[in-house]
Amino acid sequence: MTRGALVRLILILIVIGVAVTWGYWTGLVESGTTQPIQFPHKTHLDLKLACTTCHYRAEKEAVAGRPPTALCLGCHMGGDTQSQEIKKLRAFGETGREIPWRRVWRLPSHVYFPHRVHVTIAEIKCQTCHGPMESLTRPPEAPLKILAMDDCIACHEKLKSPEGGGKAAAEATKMAARRISLDCITCHR
Amino acid sequence: MALWGMVIDLDRCTGCQACVMACKAENNVPAVGAKEAKRGRIISWMQVLTETDEEHHGEKTRFIPRPCLQCDDPPCTKVCPVYATYRNPDGIVAQIYARCIGCRFCMAACPYNAKYFNWHTYQTEKPGQNPDVSVRPKGVVEKCTFCHHRLQKARERALAEKRDFDPNDYVTACAQACPAQAIVFGDLSDPTSAVSKLAASPRAFKLLEELGTKPKVIYLSEGEGRG
Repeated sequence: MTRGALVRLILILIVIGVAVTWGYWTGLVESGTTQPIQFPHKTHLDLKLACTTCHYRAEKEAVAGRPPTALCLGCHMGGDTQSQEIKKLRAFGETGREIPWRRVWRLPSHVYFPHRVHVTIAEIKCQTCHGPMESLTRPPEAPLKILAMDDCIACHEKLKSPEGGGKAAAEATKMAARRISLDCITCHR
Repeated sequence: MALWGMVIDLDRCTGCQACVMACKAENNVPAVGAKEAKRGRIISWMQVLTETDEEHHGEKTRFIPRPCLQCDDPPCTKVCPVYATYRNPDGIVAQIYARCIGCRFCMAACPYNAKYFNWHTYQTEKPGQNPDVSVRPKGVVEKCTFCHHRLQKARERALAEKRDFDPNDYVTACAQACPAQAIVFGDLSDPTSAVSKLAASPRAFKLLEELGTKPKVIYLSEGEGRG
């Protein structure tokens, strides 16, 4: 290979490298989710509200979801406000429209995760999977934690095999077998 | 641990196909289109097989609804190289789509042709589908799971209501839809259950029993009135 050809090859590789890196970064920036209202989780949780006060479906259904506008207006309806965000909320309320929240957390469609049993029976803290949401002063652009199957399995394995032996352990295993399963089809659908 | 099973009374079956449609709607089973159907690629977890009476040709047809027979000794699971299909502790033969590599060994092993391959992306997620069941991607094998998601929902409901799980809370879509009540579903490990009593009937038989697959779908043959 001549020197000229080598220089040309290196130049081409540099151009490709820059293009790929640039595309990757812009892709990352654009993938951030912007919400219609800059909801501060911190403000609400500092008032000692529980997560399930607003995300009440988590206790009843598989999907936790976002609260309906009417629930927000239950507190934010009356009084004067300087906050642009509360004004936006009231504007949605006046037109009778739901706030078009954009979903940030999404498990793969072949995974079945029922919030109900994890919240009400297992009593797992929301932060275990969702990260420190209570510290956020504006909505997250991306999930705070990236969950992998290992995260689910680690918890299920830990809870399924009680330490020690004897009748108590056998009973616990029986209970656990019913509730905390390592059977693939329990979560994969 | 329960052992879920099904009894199908061939005397009661009218071949109406309600079970077939109920299954398709419940489990997001795709319509593959005419072109694919011609190539024998129809996906139907529940299928009503027909058999014409040899003695009374053209006069009598026998209908045999065939879901996955949920064998207790399934041949399909033994050939799966990636443990995507297996018999779970409840006796249900499961198929984990995320794990399936589409080798179709299990389809070749199944003597009942109860497994189906997704040759193409036949559908995408959209409103109107059952959210409890995933839409299978291209390149995986799918099958009837005795509506396992219904079992899970029923268990969750029992847990949330702090009561014991009642086996009567769980029924498959096909059994629920059958207008002639030809399909009875329940726990075979409980001798007092309706399904166990029917399974002990002298009319009971299993498809290709001689293969030793021990199917948990049991048929009741036509009574004396036939022929």
